Amino acid sequence: MSGLRLSLRARPPARVDGSALLPEKLQGQTLDAIRRIALPGWNEFHEVGELFEVSGEATDRLQIDQLDGSFDRLGALATAGTLVLRGQAGDLVGEGLRGASIEIEGAAGDYLGCGMRRGRIEVRGNAGHFAGSGRAGELQGMSGGTLLVRGDVGDRAADRMRRGLLLVEGDAGDYLASRMLAGTVVLLGRAAGNAGYLMRRGTVVLDQRPAQMLPTFNANGRQDLLAIQLLLRSLGGEGPRFSRLAARAGGFERWLGDLAASGQGELLVSF
Amino acid sequence: MAESLTVSGVPVENTFAEAFGMRATRIVITADSLRWARAAAVAATGFATSVIACGCEAGIEQELDTSQTPDGRPGVSILIFGMSAKDLQKQVERRVGQCILTCPTTAAFGGIARDAAKEWLAMGGALRYFGDGYQISKLVGGKRYWRLPVMDGEFLCEERTATMKAIGGGNFLILARDRASAVAATERAVEAMTPLWNVILPFPGGVVRSGSKVGSRYRALIASTNDAYCPTLVGLVKTALPAGVNAVLEIVIDGLDVPSIALAMREGIRAACEGGEDAGVFGITAGNYGGKLGPHHFRLHEVLA
Repeated sequence: MSGLRLSLRARPPARVDGSALLPEKLQGQTLDAIRRIALPGWNEFHEVGELFEVSGEATDRLQIDQLDGSFDRLGALATAGTLVLRGQAGDLVGEGLRGASIEIEGAAGDYLGCGMRRGRIEVRGNAGHFAGSGRAGELQGMSGGTLLVRGDVGDRAADRMRRGLLLVEGDAGDYLASRMLAGTVVLLGRAAGNAGYLMRRGTVVLDQRPAQMLPTFNANGRQDLLAIQLLLRSLGGEGPRFSRLAARAGGFERWLGDLAASGQGELLVSF
Repeated sequence: MAESLTVSGVPVENTFAEAFGMRATRIVITADSLRWARAAAVAATGFATSVIACGCEAGIEQELDTSQTPDGRPGVSILIFGMSAKDLQKQVERRVGQCILTCPTTAAFGGIARDAAKEWLAMGGALRYFGDGYQISKLVGGKRYWRLPVMDGEFLCEERTATMKAIGGGNFLILARDRASAVAATERAVEAMTPLWNVILPFPGGVVRSGSKVGSRYRALIASTNDAYCPTLVGLVKTALPAGVNAVLEIVIDGLDVPSIALAMREGIRAACEGGEDAGVFGITAGNYGGKLGPHHFRLHEVLA
């Protein structure tokens, strides 16, 4: 493997902000300089060298191994390069992402990709609550880029999403795409309750009928829309399950809502 | 360069076609069937023979099979040429809005590669307001599309289409024994040029009978009939027609680049001359204005070399 490699060797006593560990910031630095970088924790700082075994060469690729969920904000605000996270990646991974690629070979905590603007995040396992949403108090969730979760997502995924693409191969918890402003969500698994709650605009494609359909959505009938065909076909590179969805898409049952908001969102359900 | 050149025994004058710089865009129209894509393309490129009075020059470039279109449906690519990006913007908005949006099952996509883009024109971005607030924007594969609710479902239109530098006014004239021979020669030429990419023949059926000269005895007109090539004026004006020529037709070619126009001229002239003088074709020449109008000079002998 080329690039820089950090392997966790000591569990920090409390949660640590890992947002300083960006390929673009570390690129070109010596290993000694990287070991001396101080990461803020709970009322104390921890040097990278205390927590990680540091090896390799600092290029535009950074891999962090043996993660146990105690590091938050990994990859936050990253603009370039590739960040590979192995293990439990913690909360707020890729917060406000601005262009880099983050690969999580494991699971992610809550607020994955919240407020991301560009770039790409792919998670092999599950993600926690509020994936692709915004932090509390923010008016918008993710506003660009692609967020792909091979496993399940928790509650409130794509909450207040403004733009971009959220792809989920597994199931979604309650309130998928709640308060969604625009953008696109494609869910291959099953959505729990209240999908699309108070969504204003945006598109949610559901490969399975949700557990419950909100009464504030109106049936729009069966629609075979070119834009959706084009969208699904563009996802062919995201894996065979997405390719299959595109191949058999002969139309969707379309629901418009949430009429309790502006009602211009669409839920498209495979039939 | 040789002073005399013949193609299938037909003399080709040592002159040049004078062409000028334009701006062009390509729009790919798709539909559920080729019939409807063609219907929209024919309408969108109608009344677009000359920028002088039509505002643009436009034509069908190619018919596309399902593997050549963004949405996997049959399609037609059209080229629209204008004197500036501003002129093109008006024409794109009107023609897409009135001729493609209105046509059943169609969609419209920009057809110029991003790296060749000179400027961008609003397409769906300008037409979206027809949706009266119910339009939906969708970003797919890095391109923004607009979805307008219409009575057969949705009209899908890419937000913008690119312009690129282009050339208008490539041409050649066929000097023939009679009208029938001239028409037959142009039909052969148009058929030979139809499969070519990057060019259009904007006039009806690809052919012009009313070649023009600059100026007129009437002050209001900037162009008037090319009297030197009118057989009915032989004996009255200083004619350019050799003895025995009683009909002349012109083919005008607009293209995205010099090589594409040169190729089209070569293929067209060769096809027009098939059969030689026995087919009634007595000469090939080209229209120019002494080099004062446009910077692009397509010398017939070089094009055919």
